[in-house]
Amino acid sequence: MAILADNTETLQQTANEQGAVPGEPPLRADRVTKEYLNGARVALDNISIDIKENQITALIGPSGCGKTTLLRLMAGLEYPTYGNVMVYGEPVLGPGPERGMVFQAYTSFPWLTVRENVQHGMEIQGVSKDEQRDKADHFLKLVHLDEFANAYPAELSGGMKQRVAIARTLAQGPQLLLLDEPFGALDAQVTWEMEEMAVDIIERESKTVVLVTHDIQEAIYLADRILFFTRQPGKIKADMPMEFKKGRRFAKKEDLLVEPGYVEMEKRLYTMMREEIQGRIG
Amino acid sequence: MNDTQQSISGSEAVTNASLDGEAPEKGPVFKQPKERFLGLRGSVDRTQSMALGLLGVVAFFVAWEVAHILTPENQQKFLPSVGQVVGKITYLFAEKGYVADVAKSVYRIYVSFFFACLFAVPLGLFMGSFVKLRALINPTVGGLRYLPAASFVPLLLVYFGPTDFAKLALLFLGCVFFLTALILDNVEAVPKELVESAQTMGAGRWHIVFKVTFRSAAPQILDSMRNMIAVSWTYLVIAEIVAATDGIGAVMMRGARFLHVDIIMGGILTIGVLGVLTDISFRIAGHFLFPYMRVRR
Ligand SMILES: Nc1ncnc2c1ncn2[C@@H]1O[C@H](COP(=O)(O)OP(=O)(O)OP(=O)(O)O)[C@@H](O)[C@H]1O
Ligand SMILES: [Mg+2]
Repeated sequence: MAILADNTETLQQTANEQGAVPGEPPLRADRVTKEYLNGARVALDNISIDIKENQITALIGPSGCGKTTLLRLMAGLEYPTYGNVMVYGEPVLGPGPERGMVFQAYTSFPWLTVRENVQHGMEIQGVSKDEQRDKADHFLKLVHLDEFANAYPAELSGGMKQRVAIARTLAQGPQLLLLDEPFGALDAQVTWEMEEMAVDIIERESKTVVLVTHDIQEAIYLADRILFFTRQPGKIKADMPMEFKKGRRFAKKEDLLVEPGYVEMEKRLYTMMREEIQGRIG
Repeated sequence: MNDTQQSISGSEAVTNASLDGEAPEKGPVFKQPKERFLGLRGSVDRTQSMALGLLGVVAFFVAWEVAHILTPENQQKFLPSVGQVVGKITYLFAEKGYVADVAKSVYRIYVSFFFACLFAVPLGLFMGSFVKLRALINPTVGGLRYLPAASFVPLLLVYFGPTDFAKLALLFLGCVFFLTALILDNVEAVPKELVESAQTMGAGRWHIVFKVTFRSAAPQILDSMRNMIAVSWTYLVIAEIVAATDGIGAVMMRGARFLHVDIIMGGILTIGVLGVLTDISFRIAGHFLFPYMRVRR
């Protein structure tokens, strides 16, 4: 069985390296409510959560429960109606390169080659040309796209486009990765490959990740902790650390399936999902 | 992950090995069902499309020639033959310094259009990028579109007299407001995700306006320009009627005074050809400016 790392002891170390305020979580939602249509629609209802350093936290819940909304608040693309979102204790007042985001839709710039796309964030930050090239090489290799460096996004398949987006976001050097159903548009086999790649990358680059997904297996496979949302208005129904994984991440998805505790976790999540969906119908 | 890939290709090799020996013969050449001329989602390759286009042009001239032949003899000077018109154009070039008139008209179109773009592109780009600016300006600019350009002719004559400037101004006014509106549409059609992903990369406002929004909308903006410069050509004659001294429109007006229908039609034909050439040059520019648009899956 391939176990990449026990990531518990590296947590504090990285936080201090990044000059983080001790004791402040990388991301915190403090009594956050988000209303739309002048209060006629409540997307998020008084949510408080702390995201833990170097953990992968999955947000899962029925469609329309406010997962994307919460991620966009964290990214600073929208503001909460009540409450605050904080990054290392600082309130979020807008987007910033320290919070990299991968969108569900393909967002590569079609006028740039794959390499130029990956370098774009660094260009914005004024990184030297040499460093841009080196880092782009590194991240393109990481997502297995080094052979397509000079292709335009239009020449790529859906999975490849999403890998460009991931490489591009990593290359901007974020402390936090916000992923909104990054594999949602891909077919099952590609998704599976991408999930394993994601584990590999996150292990190497040691990042704090918030992952929105609607896929229960994906959440269990990738996450160190799952936050389950109720249907609209979104509240946190359950906060579940993946204790059965004992802090390990698995290079191969099938290795997880035979872990004691996996089946129970999956069953629990399916049951919760059914409760939420039936609640809407009944 | 590498392990997995290797083992997959390994098992493929085994399957192939067990099949080797006589590889089965290829199936018969597939007979595609006959494609209708007006088939939905039918295909047309490059040569076919050129041939069809040429056929359309030839058909047009044949229809013209036939119409000429069918016209009673004593009326034929009102509908000269293709040959007569082309002959007249050659005559104009050879004897009447028509080149200078054509050059003057081309100069007027391009210079006025250049200034229209200089005005419309930044305005459309900024209005599309900054909502408040749009709220401030767009109702006015949008309204100005409804003023017929020809109605500016008397005004421009009073202001500037029969000068070159008056003609340039009319051509400018004829397309600038429409061009702004089209470019605003192009800019607003830029996917919101592109802008947002640039924001999460730490891009500032101006970076987003020029390096994301503009770059993203650029191919469509060029298309809008191509369509609007066509409209500009249609205003040429109106512009050059004003105290005509030179230009294709002036030549045509002089022809009209002496009922020289062949000269008028020669002028129309010249404008048509120049318009088509302009269109083609914009397309070629797009081909080279936006190589990524050529990749279509
Ligand atoms: N701009 C908006 N205006 C009005 N309502 C909105 C807006 N954005 C989101 N909503 C509403 O907020 C709720 C939560 O939306 P959100 O996109 O966060 O859901 P989600 O959990 O990401 O769903 P899915 O899994 O389908 O992507 C939905 O009911 C949606 O209709
Ligand atoms: Mg969503």
